[in-house]
Amino acid sequence: METLKNALDFSDFPGLDLTLAASVAVFLMVFPFFPHSSFAMSTLIQFLIFSLYGMGWNTIGGYGGQVDLGKAQYLGIGAYTTAVMLLRWDMPFWISMPVGVLFSVTWSFIIGYPLFKLKGHYFAIATIATSLVLKDLFEVWDLVGGSRGIEILAGKYWTPDFLHLIFKGDTYYYYVILGFFFFGILFMNAFRKSRLGFQLRSIKDNEDIARSLGINAHWAKIKTYAIATAFVSAVGSFHACYVKNIEPEDTMSLDISILIALMAMLGGAGSLWGPIIGAAVLVPLKSYLKEWLGAQAGMVGIDLIIYGAIIMIISAAEPRGIWGMVEKARRRRKN
Amino acid sequence: MKKRFTLVLPLMLVLSLILVMQTYAVETIKIGVIYPLTGGAAAEGRELRAGAELAAEIANTRIPEIKMDMAKRAGIASMGGAKIELIFKDHEGNPTLGADLAKKLIQDDKVIGIMGCYHSAVTKTVSAVCEEMGIPMINDSSTSPALTNRGFKWFWRTTPHDITFTKDLFDFLKGLTEGKAMGVPAISKAQIKTLAAACEKTEWGSQVSETIESLSREYGFDLKKSILYAAKSPDLSSEIRSLKSVKPDIMLFASYASDAILMMKTLKAEKAHPKMIWGQDAGFEAPEFRSTLGDDVIGVLSRTVFAPQVGQVKEVSGQVNFLYRKNMGRDLSGASARAFTGVQTWVEVLEKAGSTAPAAIQKAANSIFIPGDQLIVPWKGIRFAASGSDQGQNELGSGMIGQYQKNKEGEIVMEIVYPFDVATAKLIYPLKGF
Amino acid sequence: MEILAGSLSAGLLIGMVFALVALGLTIIFGVMDIVNFAHGEFLMIGMYTALLTAHATGVDPLLTIPFAGLVGFLLGVVCYLGFVKYLIRGPMVAQLLGTFGLMLVLRNLALFLFGSEDRTIQEGILVGKSFDLGMGIIFPATKLAAAVLSVISFIAVWLLINRTRIGKALMATALNAQGARYMGIPTERMNAFAWGIGGASVTMAGALLVNFWSVTPFVGLLFTMIAFAIVALGGFGSIPGAFFAGLIVGLITELPGIWDFVAEMTGFDWMAAVPMTSFKYTWVYLAYFLIMLIRPQGLFGWKH
Repeated sequence: METLKNALDFSDFPGLDLTLAASVAVFLMVFPFFPHSSFAMSTLIQFLIFSLYGMGWNTIGGYGGQVDLGKAQYLGIGAYTTAVMLLRWDMPFWISMPVGVLFSVTWSFIIGYPLFKLKGHYFAIATIATSLVLKDLFEVWDLVGGSRGIEILAGKYWTPDFLHLIFKGDTYYYYVILGFFFFGILFMNAFRKSRLGFQLRSIKDNEDIARSLGINAHWAKIKTYAIATAFVSAVGSFHACYVKNIEPEDTMSLDISILIALMAMLGGAGSLWGPIIGAAVLVPLKSYLKEWLGAQAGMVGIDLIIYGAIIMIISAAEPRGIWGMVEKARRRRKN
Repeated sequence: MKKRFTLVLPLMLVLSLILVMQTYAVETIKIGVIYPLTGGAAAEGRELRAGAELAAEIANTRIPEIKMDMAKRAGIASMGGAKIELIFKDHEGNPTLGADLAKKLIQDDKVIGIMGCYHSAVTKTVSAVCEEMGIPMINDSSTSPALTNRGFKWFWRTTPHDITFTKDLFDFLKGLTEGKAMGVPAISKAQIKTLAAACEKTEWGSQVSETIESLSREYGFDLKKSILYAAKSPDLSSEIRSLKSVKPDIMLFASYASDAILMMKTLKAEKAHPKMIWGQDAGFEAPEFRSTLGDDVIGVLSRTVFAPQVGQVKEVSGQVNFLYRKNMGRDLSGASARAFTGVQTWVEVLEKAGSTAPAAIQKAANSIFIPGDQLIVPWKGIRFAASGSDQGQNELGSGMIGQYQKNKEGEIVMEIVYPFDVATAKLIYPLKGF
Repeated sequence: MEILAGSLSAGLLIGMVFALVALGLTIIFGVMDIVNFAHGEFLMIGMYTALLTAHATGVDPLLTIPFAGLVGFLLGVVCYLGFVKYLIRGPMVAQLLGTFGLMLVLRNLALFLFGSEDRTIQEGILVGKSFDLGMGIIFPATKLAAAVLSVISFIAVWLLINRTRIGKALMATALNAQGARYMGIPTERMNAFAWGIGGASVTMAGALLVNFWSVTPFVGLLFTMIAFAIVALGGFGSIPGAFFAGLIVGLITELPGIWDFVAEMTGFDWMAAVPMTSFKYTWVYLAYFLIMLIRPQGLFGWKH
């Protein structure tokens, strides 16, 4: 009950933020009713997917300050579980997703215990290492299709299939992931005010003091890591149904891991809106730059130069990302 | 300042009006083409794009000298001379991105069909999108056999697939033992019996690897070692040493461009000397392969669908190759020739369909026959299997095996050594070593 | 036996090459706790510098190494003063983010300028040569030269840090930047110097490697992850650590050969069937993970 109250209580944000957030929420809800290009639609779905990944990453990476660059392994576990269960046993998404989360969380406990003995950069590189090891294993595992991966053929289903989450139009997927998105925000809102959330922030500020206060830092980090994992894994399951094709090289690559962290960091790690802002800036920036200035337009590389330069400028101007800039501007106005 | 603005504004309006009118003056038929224009296979992507663009140019303008039906018409005659417009998209070798681009092309750009995508993994997702939406897709350059095993009704493939190509290799080896190869007396099978293969470990390479395994058994060769390796690898010396350790007579590879080059350099550095090296197209046929390795490629075999030498036998190939050379400064490659043929097939299908309705295109594609003399590639023609386990596959395609050799002018060219009856040069055997 | 000797020698050789590539990364990290995602791109720039200079002037690519080093030094200093200086105020996430952006910019700038084709050097003293010592031991000339340069650079950097005044100042900056400032050490200049040295060492490595490897704008990517693993394994900031970790990683990448040897010796058929080469780098990461469990600060690490 307390958690639910926390989740719905946004009163510590200024009114302006809430008005803005509410209008964005309304926009997202009515967007499909207005004429739009399918490009805008798929960009928005990508935005929602990546803000959810970012929210998951933000628990451990933002609030906890542990830079995790291996989230793609959980995306893979979630996606593979859903795809394999769907193809082999015709399991509905709503069953395979929790099962995937269960697998992911179990795996996260197994590797989380040793992982969190490491600190800082050692931890970051180790998360990359575990993710790549798992990817290589999936590449030779025949049950999951090896390096060729798994393909879900939509033609075999009578669409729209809400049970297996197989649709023909993107609009259905959009609303499903939008539901996830709102749930994610509420969850994160509760999380940041939870006991674990406070513990984690005190660990981030100063682990020794946190320990002296009787916080079991190691355990708190592992628990948070499991939460982050559950987020990514659930969205990974969705990814399987949405993209309908999973390959280790594509789904579990290092690029995805880095992109997840990148968006959350750029938006502002350790804040509720950070990952959402990060995804809202980077996802459309990348796809539209590619559209206008990419190789298709005969200018190879320009789009990514601009993209990289924007990342550089933001990170140099304000280490706490875009949300950090907003807060700084506010504080200046107050003074 | 203000005055100038009031002058410029109407001018721009008029200009844009003219532009708009121009684009609407002739009816155009839009085809979406998805290729790897950036990323690891960008160089191949550029080849593919140039090949496709040349084909569209020939289809849209009347060039009666070229002995090809497509060149004699301007546009699609059955649709009042409608022009073909290709819209290129860049998938970076990423299957998820490819699927997104396909959706965009179909829904936003309203293309009537899709072509692409080189990487088999991307073709897989793109064709699934097309199948879902009932939009025809012609695949020109992906060779994974699994693509046509899915019973898709909106997917056709012009290029032969890896099973055909790998079969060619074993038929070639068999012919070698029977003394059929030009310039080489019969070689006893014991001399070329042991094989070793290294294939890159994603969709395409792993499939080639399996095919090699099963065919070597079927043809009675001894595949001593078959490894899969990561193409994005800084060093391949352990792979090469692993192959070398079984002392194979023939080494077989399925590699993309950068790793094919590194592989050859490592072979040389590790002083490997197999009697033959055979590459499964892709990297072994990329223009950089010969430009970076120079004389070291002499004697290397690669399966291919096109070599400029085909022009000696087929007039139309020579004519098209001449145009391509004029545009790009180099000869058509297997990649660009297949992209050309892909667009040509699209044009002929549309000509036959006489409409851009998907159902009409589907019907036309399922019953089309393009005779071999129309094509620049040395195939018997194009006719798609309408049913069966290889539905949508071109039944009349065939592969070739080329060998890098030095011609009289000292240039390195790819000579045809298989099929034996169209061979353009004597086979170099054994490899003279590095 | 030949297989084993060949694999071990090749492993040590490539290990030294990897260590050479990782040296710059560990110097930069040691001084200011920053992981440079753009490290591989510096290598790529070194390769292009050597290639283009050699083509333009017609000199042997080996002679371009000092010039590449100069370019790398300037690049490092410019990157520090123009960009990284502003990053180090922030937490680790900001540094990762920033150098990742730098990587994207450098890589795509190269793509824009040079195109994506593979390019190689075809003429030079080292190009295409290798020495066969018998017993299956073969040393490709470029790798051998890189190994020699690797040993020399490691000793030089070690001496620089431990035996010179500048080295002491670097060390002081690394241990306690504020304290060093109070002692009158120009820490800002020390940081820039570290970036210069780090940049120079990796571009020189690139200039040498281009005698064997072909260069594309994406070549850095292949080496970056290996360099990361090496630096972390050796202990971030440790110079000898990076060298020995390089050797370990090199040997691990040659595991397939060693495995073949064991399979042959024991005659177990199942061993020959294991796809060892598919797992080539898996072992590297797995070994990193396992060693970290025992020594969370890396093999030679002296700080977190």
